[in-house]
Amino acid sequence: MTERNDHDLGEQFRALRREDTTAAPAFRATLAAARARRAATPRRRALGLAAAALVLAGVAVALLLARRGVPIDLATVRLKTPTDFLLALPNEELLRTVPELGRVTITLDRRTP
Amino acid sequence: MSPEALEQELDQLHPAAFGWALACCSGDRAAAEDALQASYLKVLDGRARFDGRASVRTWIFSVVRYTVAELRRRAAVRRWLPLAALGATSDGRPDAVTELVRADGTRRLTEALATLPRRQREVLHLVFYQDLTIAEAALVAGVSLGTARTHYERGKAALRKLLKEEPE
Repeated sequence: MTERNDHDLGEQFRALRREDTTAAPAFRATLAAARARRAATPRRRALGLAAAALVLAGVAVALLLARRGVPIDLATVRLKTPTDFLLALPNEELLRTVPELGRVTITLDRRTP
Repeated sequence: MSPEALEQELDQLHPAAFGWALACCSGDRAAAEDALQASYLKVLDGRARFDGRASVRTWIFSVVRYTVAELRRRAAVRRWLPLAALGATSDGRPDAVTELVRADGTRRLTEALATLPRRQREVLHLVFYQDLTIAEAALVAGVSLGTARTHYERGKAALRKLLKEEPE
């Protein structure tokens, strides 16, 4: 692929290749090191997973302990269902209040005929 | 491809793959050996599969390049961890021993290459050192043919200029 005028560059790269080739580790040694690494990898991975699980468990326990001290006031908790509005009646305050003479509490809806 | 056939291919390509790993790791021999071992494991375990779209050589070079990038990312993350000081991580520079044994000419070449952008360096290495075509280099580098050609031309011009300059 290189052009004729790239011969000088090619020659320098070839010299580099010769040097690297003589310094390259033996294939068998590289393969043996790779296999030794594979044998060690599951143990290392298991250790890593165990450490991660420990950290997660620690965080969960810390959160639980922190929440334990906070009291939950049931009086302030009110469940509101999505269908609550169906139970709302027009002028329902009339049912909850005592009428007073001279005071009008009914608000008429002008849209109704 | 059977595991025996793969192992035989790896054996034949080993010197070239080592040269490529060394180039990907900017001359750091320990990092290159690490990357090569991890790449061989991927190939032999079947985590990297040869689909026959390119030559075995091009495929193995791609696996090596991908593995180097992966290890580089992991090393970058490890540097931020509190236990980073316990395990030495590669700094991505040529190691002293590799540089020491180089002849003057090749040392100048590696120094000049080190100043080029990574993509240009990769394409030049694949074309001149590994005798691949620009199309094959594009496949290995994971770029389009046009991009590889641009990196090749720009890299070549920059390298020539750097090599013409007087050494300090």
